Amino acid sequence: MIIAARNLSKFFDVKGVKNAKIRAVEDVNIEIKEGEIVGLVGESGSGKSTLGRLLIRLIEPTSGEILYNIPDKELDEFDIALKNKDDNAIKKIVDKYSITKLHGNELKKFRRNVGIVFQDPYSSLNPRLKIEDIIAEPIIETGYLKGNEAKERVLELLDEVQLPREFSYRYPHELSGGQRQRVALARGIATNPKLVILDEPTSALDVSIQAEILELLKELREKYNISMLLITHNISVVSYMADRVFVMYAGKIMEKGSKNDIIKNPEHPYTQALISAVPQIKRIKARIILKGDPPNLINPPKGCRFHPRCPVALPTCGWTADEVKPTLDYLIDTKYFTEFTNANVEIKNELELIANNVDINKLKEIINIEKENYKPLLSIKDIVQENGRVALKLYQYETPELIELENGREVECLLFSPKNKAS
Amino acid sequence: MSKSNAKPDRFRELKLSLQVFFSNKSAVAGLIIFLFYFFDALILQFFPQILPFKHPYQLTPNYANPIPQPPSFKHPFGTTYPGVDLLNAIIKSIRLDFWLSLEIVIPGAIIGLVVGIIATYFGGWIDEVLMRVTDIVFSIPYLVLAIAIGYVLGRTLQSMMIALILVWWPLYARYARSVTLETKELTFIEAARAAGTSNLKIMFKHILPNSLPPVFVQISLDLGTIMLTISALAFIGFLPAANLPELGYLTSLGYNYIQTAPWAMIIPGLFIVLFALAVNLMGDGFRDVIDPRRRSEL
Ligand SMILES: Nc1ncnc2c1ncn2[C@@H]1O[C@H](COP(=O)(O)OP(=O)(O)O)[C@@H](O)[C@H]1O
Ligand code: SF4
Ligand SMILES: [Mg+2]
Repeated sequence: MIIAARNLSKFFDVKGVKNAKIRAVEDVNIEIKEGEIVGLVGESGSGKSTLGRLLIRLIEPTSGEILYNIPDKELDEFDIALKNKDDNAIKKIVDKYSITKLHGNELKKFRRNVGIVFQDPYSSLNPRLKIEDIIAEPIIETGYLKGNEAKERVLELLDEVQLPREFSYRYPHELSGGQRQRVALARGIATNPKLVILDEPTSALDVSIQAEILELLKELREKYNISMLLITHNISVVSYMADRVFVMYAGKIMEKGSKNDIIKNPEHPYTQALISAVPQIKRIKARIILKGDPPNLINPPKGCRFHPRCPVALPTCGWTADEVKPTLDYLIDTKYFTEFTNANVEIKNELELIANNVDINKLKEIINIEKENYKPLLSIKDIVQENGRVALKLYQYETPELIELENGREVECLLFSPKNKAS
Repeated sequence: MSKSNAKPDRFRELKLSLQVFFSNKSAVAGLIIFLFYFFDALILQFFPQILPFKHPYQLTPNYANPIPQPPSFKHPFGTTYPGVDLLNAIIKSIRLDFWLSLEIVIPGAIIGLVVGIIATYFGGWIDEVLMRVTDIVFSIPYLVLAIAIGYVLGRTLQSMMIALILVWWPLYARYARSVTLETKELTFIEAARAAGTSNLKIMFKHILPNSLPPVFVQISLDLGTIMLTISALAFIGFLPAANLPELGYLTSLGYNYIQTAPWAMIIPGLFIVLFALAVNLMGDGFRDVIDPRRRSEL
């Protein structure tokens, strides 16, 4: 693997609010092979850019490991060591491959091996520098080449991205958006890196120019066997470019697999919704429309982060009392208000609610009828009479983990856990 | 296509800048007026002998006829009390106002930039402390500070200058900080970090050059306000010596004749306002020049 991450997390501080954290990336495992293009898809705000920046140490992880250029065998050993909490074995591999502790010259050397291209070619090029100096920056700063050799390399790179050599003396504002993105690309590959992060590299460009840039990326991959992490929210870009695809939602990887598997046969309910939203010539499946918005990452949903929007959520997918209460309130105060007087519901703890002034049988009956319409009600396990009040006990939720299916496909969803599969 | 040579491109940059500036007609008008003030100040400061003034650094009173006279062939702008020819006096007065404005605005901007950049560069508590100090100084009214400093250091031009620099730098510190903070968020800074560029180099190679032009624009916009302030101080009698040619002081000379001889106040007052207006228009033109969108329109 050119790069692999294990239990990688990044929590951002919230300005002005103590102890609140934006959990932008949490407990993520990924791996990218030599020369492969991996598409990273997901809605905006799902943590794609943060993950990309983490991988090349543009931001520091809160926890987790990033292993660079690690042979598959040793990555397997590392996974086993993590599972067995074998600290010695973990340390041995971390010392050899981890980039999270690099500094000084070691870090510079790593920077030579990685590159990044940003979405907006207007703000990603310093308007006060000539194209030559923009492209030369990583060459010189990482000590890759100096002086005339660096200059020569810049001209070579302009050829590589199919821009005239004269452009080296121009300023960014003299170039069109597509030309600027080519310059950004030349900078991204300037030191002949093994891995390039492409953060929505075509989203800011005209459609006609998008295709040219994608074509160029493909060519560069063929020629230099560069690994690429292609971050995008555009499924058609992924389906054109990627070998494999990672699907991200609310800071977590939901599904990983080969491009064909993911696009033709998505397994995860979120991926299914994502793919079904893409207009296709031949519509195979009905469009799944997700209700609601992506969750707030300061206090993300428990269990599976997708459960509040998941059309097939199970009783154990992560429901908690604070999600059940609004539904019960609505039923008691509005929909069936004629059936109750002075009834109310309070939260006892994460997994238990108390209903006052209600008839237990009536409540049971209503919940049974409405279960189909209101997913949170599914999570009610028992309804019992306790000290003259009615206690509603919820199922203990589970947190799904990435489960390996066939063909290197991995899915993070309880539907695929062995226990639920059996039933 | 240009030749592969750095020179023509610099030249083209300059040409483009001029094109942008000159396409803004009111900015050109502002520049022309500004240049009149500038040459006036330049000649009086360095080559006063080429002008027919016996006392270039003093007002020449005429106690034989002290009452303000209306504009006439002999006195195109009229005279003010005590018999001072206004045209002469205005030509002499611009010198002090012009240089004093520059002497206040430039040190103020430099202090402000240094403080602002240090604050953004280090961030954290250093930023916090510097900005708190800035806010405190900023909240002191300039008049109060000028009078206090005049009281301590004596009522001289120097103490007035010091007071105004002290009052003005926080404006630039705040402004420089907001500009550098904004620049810091642009992705080319992140690209530089990804390229392995050190923080200090990022500060000087990427952030400073991109923050200077807006600060420069702010300076040119401020020159007018500063001249207004200086004149206001002079008007209320802050100048160390009588007879010193200064526009605010000159305006105050006509104060007692506002009803019978309004030109004695209006004409020198107009020259203060005209300068403020001119540098504002000119500053707008500079703002266009540094705006990449305006550049690419041409
Ligand atoms: N530097 C930062 N400071 C604080 N929050 C951040 C920062 N960068 C990203 N975030 C937050 O992290 C979450 C994920 O953002 P991002 O990685 O940019 O998502 P995506 O690229 O998928 O749109 C968002 O909620 C965003 O507001
Ligand atoms: S675990 Fe699977 S079924 Fe449950 S909410 Fe998440 S995606 Fe839906
Ligand atoms: Mg993003």
